[in-house]
Amino acid sequence: MTIAATILGTAALPVGKWQTAPGTVPRVLEHEVLAKLVMEAVADAGIDKSDIGSMIFALPRPYTQQKYFATFMANYLRLPCSGTVAEMMGNGMTAALAFQAAVDEIRLGKTKVALALGVNFETATSSAEHMMSSMRATGDVDFHVPFGFTPISWYAMDAARYIHEFHSSREELATVAVKNRAHAVLNPIAQFRKPITLEQVLAQAPIVEPLGLYEVPARSDGAVCIVLAAEDVAKATGRPYARLRGQSFFHEGAHQISEVPNDMIALVAAQTAGRGALAEAGITPADIDLAELYAPCTIVEVLVSEALGLAPRGQGARQCAEGQTSLGGRIPICTSGGLQSRGHPAYVTPLYSFVEVADQLRGRAGARQVAGARLALTSAELGNYNAAMVHVLEAVQ
Amino acid sequence: MTLEILHIDRARPYPPRVTAFTQHFWDSVAQGRLETTVCDDCGRFSFPPKPFCPHCWCTRTHWAELSGRGQLYSQTLIHAAPATFRDEAPYRVGIVDLNEGLRIATRVLSETTPGLDVPVQIVVLLYTDGPLFAARLSE
Repeated sequence: MTIAATILGTAALPVGKWQTAPGTVPRVLEHEVLAKLVMEAVADAGIDKSDIGSMIFALPRPYTQQKYFATFMANYLRLPCSGTVAEMMGNGMTAALAFQAAVDEIRLGKTKVALALGVNFETATSSAEHMMSSMRATGDVDFHVPFGFTPISWYAMDAARYIHEFHSSREELATVAVKNRAHAVLNPIAQFRKPITLEQVLAQAPIVEPLGLYEVPARSDGAVCIVLAAEDVAKATGRPYARLRGQSFFHEGAHQISEVPNDMIALVAAQTAGRGALAEAGITPADIDLAELYAPCTIVEVLVSEALGLAPRGQGARQCAEGQTSLGGRIPICTSGGLQSRGHPAYVTPLYSFVEVADQLRGRAGARQVAGARLALTSAELGNYNAAMVHVLEAVQ
Repeated sequence: MTLEILHIDRARPYPPRVTAFTQHFWDSVAQGRLETTVCDDCGRFSFPPKPFCPHCWCTRTHWAELSGRGQLYSQTLIHAAPATFRDEAPYRVGIVDLNEGLRIATRVLSETTPGLDVPVQIVVLLYTDGPLFAARLSE
């Protein structure tokens, strides 16, 4: 029998613009920001520094000057580890891979306590320059990139296809942005907290048609530390925790598009990983109390909610417009505000998802608390959901 | 079948890298032919062309010419562009399902927002430094 892993402590930097350009004085630097969060997360967990045996980092952005960041931090924190110290990378899935690697450290008995942590600083680089790098991560450098595809252009094509197939509309999809902003208003660590209307969303400048500025993710800096512990350690603290109940990963073996024409907006990877995680947890989508989905654009939240069985196929946008995915609705989605409004420091975004569900499952989400939240689901992805990782977590009070 | 060739009086913003293997593909495009590889064993097409079959991992493939005709699966107009494409923005890109059962990504030449599933044909864009290709709505 494998050892059950739990989330016992969390700490997160409010998402926003923190990065300072080279040459400015004083600088805001990644290691100082993250070390402070490590102290806070360890205090939140009620464990001792000496309990920690592994640290799995999200790889920092290339703009972070300190290389081999994980080993630099092992020294900065003066933390000898007998498990693993490493950095993970997998595009948007990066932080979910770090989280899962930390879980595996516990499940394999390499340590009783592991940290999943990371810092994503990028906003001192302009979007046009940043895309010179990110376009090469979300496309074939020789057969996609020369045409000018950008990371979110693939999601925009999902939106066009969804509108075409299901007689939806930009207006219907845009209700996701309004709903997520309403959630972010209640989240102290969200990047954008001023309420917005549907009219305001539709009036924004086009970015990748049919999506405008408020329907796509912001550029963000962020940092998170999560303390994971074996369940016996969590139980001994007497504090509430979130137990990992199911996890699954699937890569469809395609990069942005499949050369064999398929139903691109079915998100096969999310369907498959979702089924796997729910099966391991022994539950159905109807049992889920809230879902924190990795959805850079409005359309992606709709597609993932359908792929995971949280909404019927072709009705995800309509159900959002009806309020079914809002706080107080049938299945609240992205109570944090999601990637459009909580913010999207991409390499640590999934860690923010785990922070949100851990807050919800420990009953401390404040004004955005889902009453009686017991089971929560998270998703992470890369490409155009060519790969997905889904986790199911359970409240233990 | 020869594809129409449109001459563009500037260099490509982000030229593809050309290998000893893919050189045949790009040389053919420059001459108005869209070619790709077909597996000697299972007979299936690949795109991009590869010196092996991604379906059955057979290492024997041959070149075959494509019709350059298909349907527009999806499209978008990109306003926020990477630095090297800034001068071309806004520009339209899309996903095309070729009649041979291959899905490709490419530029789309259309002044207005095209409907989806409409017939398209591939044309060659011959820049000053080499070729690319694009999809144009069929007449």
